[in-house]
Amino acid sequence: MNQVNKETSVTVLGGRVMQALSSLRLSCTLLILLGLLTWLGTLEQAEHGLYEVQRKYFESYILFFDAGPISVPLPGANLVMTLLFFNIVVGGIVRLRKTSNQLGVLIVHVGMLLLFAAGFIKLNYSEEGHVTLYEGDASNTYQSYHKWEVAVSRMLPDRTVKEWLIPGQQFLGAHGDESQVFRSDDLPFDVVLSHVMSNSRPLRKGPMFEVDVPVIDGQFLKEEPRLPDSERNTAGVYVSLQETAGDTQVDAMLWGRDVEPYQVDVDGVRWGVQLRRERYPMPFTIALDDFIKEEHPGTMMPKWFSSDVTVVEEGSPRSLRISMNEPLRNNGLVMYQASWGPANAAPGTPLFSTLAVVRNPSDQYPLYACILIAIGLLLHFMRRLSGYIRAESRS
Amino acid sequence: MKSLWLISACLMSLALAPQDAQSSLDLEAGDSEAPRGWSAPVIEQIERLPVQEGGRVKPFHTFANFTLLRLHGSRRLSSPEGQSLSPVEWLLDVLLRPGSTTRDELFLVQNGEVIEAIGLPLGAAKGRAKYSYESLWPALVNNKLFDLASEYVRIDEKERSPVQSQVVLLASNVSSYDRLLSEMSWAQVDFEVPAGDRISALFEGRKSVAFHDIVKNAVPMLTLRQELDDLGDAASMEQSLGILEMLSQAVEAVRYSNSLAFLPPVASVDSEAEWMTAAALFSNALQGMPVAEVYIDALAGWEAAAAAPDDDVVVAHALSNVVREVNWLADARGEGDSLGLELRYYKLDLLTWSLSLFVLAFITCAILWMRPKSRVVYRITWAFAGSAYALLVAAIVMRCVIRSRPPVSTLYETVLFVAATGGLSALFVEWVNKRRIALSAATIMGMGLLFIANGYEMLDKRDTMPSLVAVLDTNFWLATHVTTITMGYAAGMLAALLGSIWVVCKAFRLKRHDPSFFKGLSRMTYGVICFAATLSIVGTILGGIWANDSWGRFWGWDPKENGALMIVIWQVAMLHGRMAGLLRDKGFALAAAFGGTVIAFSWWGVNLLGIGLHSYGFTSGIHSALWTYYGIQWAVVALGLIAVRSGKPALNK
Repeated sequence: MNQVNKETSVTVLGGRVMQALSSLRLSCTLLILLGLLTWLGTLEQAEHGLYEVQRKYFESYILFFDAGPISVPLPGANLVMTLLFFNIVVGGIVRLRKTSNQLGVLIVHVGMLLLFAAGFIKLNYSEEGHVTLYEGDASNTYQSYHKWEVAVSRMLPDRTVKEWLIPGQQFLGAHGDESQVFRSDDLPFDVVLSHVMSNSRPLRKGPMFEVDVPVIDGQFLKEEPRLPDSERNTAGVYVSLQETAGDTQVDAMLWGRDVEPYQVDVDGVRWGVQLRRERYPMPFTIALDDFIKEEHPGTMMPKWFSSDVTVVEEGSPRSLRISMNEPLRNNGLVMYQASWGPANAAPGTPLFSTLAVVRNPSDQYPLYACILIAIGLLLHFMRRLSGYIRAESRS
Repeated sequence: MKSLWLISACLMSLALAPQDAQSSLDLEAGDSEAPRGWSAPVIEQIERLPVQEGGRVKPFHTFANFTLLRLHGSRRLSSPEGQSLSPVEWLLDVLLRPGSTTRDELFLVQNGEVIEAIGLPLGAAKGRAKYSYESLWPALVNNKLFDLASEYVRIDEKERSPVQSQVVLLASNVSSYDRLLSEMSWAQVDFEVPAGDRISALFEGRKSVAFHDIVKNAVPMLTLRQELDDLGDAASMEQSLGILEMLSQAVEAVRYSNSLAFLPPVASVDSEAEWMTAAALFSNALQGMPVAEVYIDALAGWEAAAAAPDDDVVVAHALSNVVREVNWLADARGEGDSLGLELRYYKLDLLTWSLSLFVLAFITCAILWMRPKSRVVYRITWAFAGSAYALLVAAIVMRCVIRSRPPVSTLYETVLFVAATGGLSALFVEWVNKRRIALSAATIMGMGLLFIANGYEMLDKRDTMPSLVAVLDTNFWLATHVTTITMGYAAGMLAALLGSIWVVCKAFRLKRHDPSFFKGLSRMTYGVICFAATLSIVGTILGGIWANDSWGRFWGWDPKENGALMIVIWQVAMLHGRMAGLLRDKGFALAAAFGGTVIAFSWWGVNLLGIGLHSYGFTSGIHSALWTYYGIQWAVVALGLIAVRSGKPALNK
């Protein structure tokens, strides 16, 4: 008897959960919450910049909104959209009437699910960055806009460079002089990172003031306030290379805009250490042949810019053009004409072209979702419109 | 030969030197008594002259229109004698009778503090007033205006006080006018031919010549001077100096002629896009570039007009030569195709006619509210509203043809398109149900939005058919995403209006004996929201696909994208709330009315944040209008919440 009761209560509970999860009330609540988050996130961008706001509101599961002196907990857009996804799935299975009248609605919701899936894949499995080239330059890597890494490198006898990487997410959260030790069997030293700064600049230490960070060769890293525009922040970190089998210790400071790695000799081998934007390999090499920039006549307003490039893949070169609204899709990567520089360059100054690079497995899903949603909505609302016209004609 | 190019380079740099902040024209007393205005034949000629400005070729009529609007704040100017001048008449005065325009109260100043700030005595007008160049003259002579402006311009635009912004604007406007005053200086002077057989032979023995003669003979003059220098004797050196002085005078006369680019290159558009001003032409001539005969004819035409500005016959004939030559070149380059249509567009002024008809339709509509059963009034309202929309659509079509673009590519055009599509949707609903409600909504919407379009044009004061930044230069996405999303705005605004009508009628117990009125209104609001949601969803996703092709990501939480998403979310929430029984007639009407503010935020509000990738849509000065709209819609919602009891369940429950 108890067994039956238990089964009944489990069934009832399960049914209630399914009912709640599929309910239109939940849909409305989640939509209102998503609208609220979008509104708050939009307003806050003016103060804190897109990158910070995106992480706080749209890529989080929970957040605290500062309403004056009170911090109000709110679900993050990630949580809301996850629940909305299940709401649509369960609602479609449990609640949606499977009749021809509802075919349009069904198609719309399938399209929405595809859109959510695209967002999920993009958020978790995509990489994005850029490659910046002057005419004649070539590259087979691209680098992140926001993420940092420490690269320890060594030149091998065959003149190739071998690198050991420490991703920024493993050390950028550290505070103050807190040290973090990174060890690898391949390295003859431990890499100790401390005084991590998300935005910094190197300064010469003068005699008239004291600093609370190490001074190396008369210089130190000064922590700067984080800028709203994340790309403009330059990270900095102090590094100490401590020989594993000896007492030798080399201290250095790494700044994100240093062009060359800091070089150190250990046991007669030259090593390089560098703080830089995360780099990702490309399955091909791209060379910039020609960058074209046009302005509307008599104005400074950009009319057109494009990059003529050569893509070398498995030894065979191809000439292509990348321009605004005409990206290059190749081997899982998409390359866009993003920007150029230097800004305010004098006539005749060599210009560089910046190509945004994205690896997004769900690149074309939104297009398919859009087609599905448009078909579904047209089907559904045309049916409703014809019903309305018929009803009005009768009345 | 080397020194020849050295001299020409020096002269050229003089010719292209930027204008000093200091005024270049001394006020000429007496000119102010000269006659004003131009005869119809003169106007008919000059308004067709193609000029290049803001990256595109446009008729002189358009150039004059927006120049006067920018400086004066309106498109008519009264001379001190009380004569009303059109933009073309005024600009032609500035070019050919510059001294006669300095007493015109031309410069619009919004705040009297600006006048005090530049050290001038404030007259009776403490607030918004118009000032003449002559009255501002003391602040130009002592450079106070330009000194202050150069100080304020270093302050970030968002940080400037209203007075500082106005000082910067006034300085910019005075500077523009100053340049125009001197634009035709080269056409108004003769140049004395120096002594010497060979130079005299070059100009066929004439004692003085016009600017076009010098342009035509620039290279022979420089070559002759070089030869004289090489001879080295005293007489030759004197003649050489005479030639140099003549060229210097020509450079001085043309150095400020950088505003009116009326000379198209002889080459194709692809190889040479930028048109020349008189200064640029002379600079090219001094560099040894060949000067086409057509340019010489055009310069000679302006000179003839400037020589006898009070003789309309001469001016008309001279300007017709200029216009003919320039149009011929523009046509050969394929840049003259839509100039005639653009001129017709502005002269027909379809939008003003449309607005007038909307006002008439609104009046008859008001009569219809009092006499709802009157078929005559109903038909008249239909006729007025239908005609107004026909003119509005005609204007939009003309703009599309002129620009070779889809209907929406600027903020200004979104207003026209929202008015057209929103209103036509309402007329369609009226045609289906004939309840008089949608006809009223169509009239109110058309009239309101055309007033807004007009106000925006007056506020922005810039060409409403501008060149587009690179990312917008795609007719495919403009035709799909922008058009769809704007139609979504239109439908959403219409739904907001219908919802507001429901609330106001309920709150004030209008039509209380006619339940079918409210039933019909609810059905209409629901139908329009369905239409709006379809367009908003599809338009927003299309925008994402465009962004994916331009910027490498489908969605970036950019303010404009977020605004579109908020509209989608709000409308989808309304539809689901209605299905769930959470929103009944009252709730749905209130939500629709509130939805108007969500759309206004997305359409205009996010632009005020001044951030994001859609920076080509930034504008300023629309705060008060936007907040007024928010206030009205929130007041309607508050009225509904307080004064209206809950209605019956939703219709399809």
